[in-house]
Amino acid sequence: MSTITKTSPNHRATHRRRRLHLTPYLFLAPALIWYLVFLVYPMYQSLTISFMSWDGLSANIRFIGLDNYRRIFFEDDTARLALWNNILWTLGTLLIPTTIGLMLAVALDRKLRGRTALRAIFYGPAVLPLVAVGMIWAWMYNPQFGFINYVLKAIGLGFLARGWLSVYETALPATFLTAVWGGVGFPMVLYLAALQAIPQEQYEAAKMDGANGRQLFWKITMPWLREANVIVFSLAVINSFKTFDLIYTMTYGGPGRATQVLGTWMYFHAFQYYNAGYGAAIAWVIAIITLVMAIPYIQRMSRD
Amino acid sequence: MTATTNSGANAKSLHRSASMKAEQRFTDTVLYIVLIAMAIVWLVPFIIIVLTSVRSMGDLISNGVFAWPKEIVLSNFDRAWNIGNFSTYFRNSLILIVFKVPLGIVIASLAAFPLAKMQFRFSNIIFVFFLIGLAIPIHVTLTPLLVMMKQLGIQGTLAALIPPYVVFGLPFQIFVMRGFFRTVPSELLEAARIDGATEWGNFWRILMPLSAPALATLFIIDALATWNELLIALVLISSNDSRTVPVGLLQFQGQFSSQYTQLMAGVLISITPIILLYIFLQRYMVAGLTAGALKE
Repeated sequence: MSTITKTSPNHRATHRRRRLHLTPYLFLAPALIWYLVFLVYPMYQSLTISFMSWDGLSANIRFIGLDNYRRIFFEDDTARLALWNNILWTLGTLLIPTTIGLMLAVALDRKLRGRTALRAIFYGPAVLPLVAVGMIWAWMYNPQFGFINYVLKAIGLGFLARGWLSVYETALPATFLTAVWGGVGFPMVLYLAALQAIPQEQYEAAKMDGANGRQLFWKITMPWLREANVIVFSLAVINSFKTFDLIYTMTYGGPGRATQVLGTWMYFHAFQYYNAGYGAAIAWVIAIITLVMAIPYIQRMSRD
Repeated sequence: MTATTNSGANAKSLHRSASMKAEQRFTDTVLYIVLIAMAIVWLVPFIIIVLTSVRSMGDLISNGVFAWPKEIVLSNFDRAWNIGNFSTYFRNSLILIVFKVPLGIVIASLAAFPLAKMQFRFSNIIFVFFLIGLAIPIHVTLTPLLVMMKQLGIQGTLAALIPPYVVFGLPFQIFVMRGFFRTVPSELLEAARIDGATEWGNFWRILMPLSAPALATLFIIDALATWNELLIALVLISSNDSRTVPVGLLQFQGQFSSQYTQLMAGVLISITPIILLYIFLQRYMVAGLTAGALKE
């Protein structure tokens, strides 16, 4: 890139060079200022708040050191349950929508009739607002009139019918299943893009050598998907720890506190129970987890 | 196929390819059946929303959710739109999109230009600094943002949403625009510079027009994200007049929790614009999302 001209004795050129040194920062200024004022500064503030006991409204604010953090890990059973639910949610996301997405991608990479429509159907739910997705599925799970119980009764499995979102054991899995419906699309399109980058000659050469389908998949396809895997897995973890909308819409953290995740528990404390300090500490626990888990992802994205 | 060039193995490979073809046809059929079955499962919720929202509550209760409606009733939509305030929520979300999306994309593009096309000392550090934003959960900014918006006197209004919405769009948009700008030949900019063009002129007259496809994609993705965002709006918006579609939907759910037909009419209204957009612009939306994750 030649934005910086080579040294020149010419006065105009030196002048131009100096201006060019400043130019990048002038273009960067709006974004940097915006980013610092509305992201970095609030983050710093909430870190400060997380060391305080504060209701979020009054002037009554008191430094309590790491007490809020200690409370999360050692005193607050719900916070630990929320963390555990996030971990389960993450493991589930790494396993289920990712695998389904990969299988769909491999299937729809073939020249099948109607594959465009099929891709559109599987990706479709991913573009909807999660509030709407949650409401749709809350209706599907409705104990009295919902579609799920309706089908179970129709096929003679009526004894399985229940209030899926109001029973302790099923509330989280039922909410998670909703996330699967909306979550296969992204890994699918990502894997599709990665599959299309694989040179076909490699498959043909391997077939000539008598490789079977399974060998082709594990020896050629999977190694080529390594990059896509980094992104799919990282985003699965990051987004799982950010989970909020579905839980808030479908179960409100209930029944009891069975489906609380860190995101909702943070929200309840900061904005409903007037524990801004404690809420900020939970938010920072989420942030630290997502930032650490994002390291390979950011490395991958910033590589040229 | 290259198999035919090898004459010794010719007959054998022909035989094998014939049996492989039959096997292929069989797996294709099985695959097809599985895919169609899955597609039906994936479509069921959509069918259910429609079947629920076009009938009366009485019809739903007596005939069950999957029965064909006795009578097509459209009053649910009318009531959701008017009593449920969806007209207000739509207006608010649209206003937000009109102001927020172009603003965010221009700021991101301005920043992407030097990161893509100029060499300077902190280029990489600044780029990574922005990328880290991709992993920062919104949660960690909420309380301070609320305080800040109160101090600015815009808490509770739509204007309060613009700063955080712009900021959370920046990392992805800077990443995509930087990637796109890098594909524009530097010679183009260099030639313009020799003709006396400024960097500012180059940005607006060369880079931005050439980036129309990327800008269109970002516009769609960002409009979608704005339409769908819940958490920030939930915290910063308090009055019914300023609610966006997701917050309005929640309000609606609280208000009509057992009026299932009306509830689903509201949901259908709120997702119809997205579904239309998706049907017509699917290619851009999907391309943009993958562009953000995979490069070239």
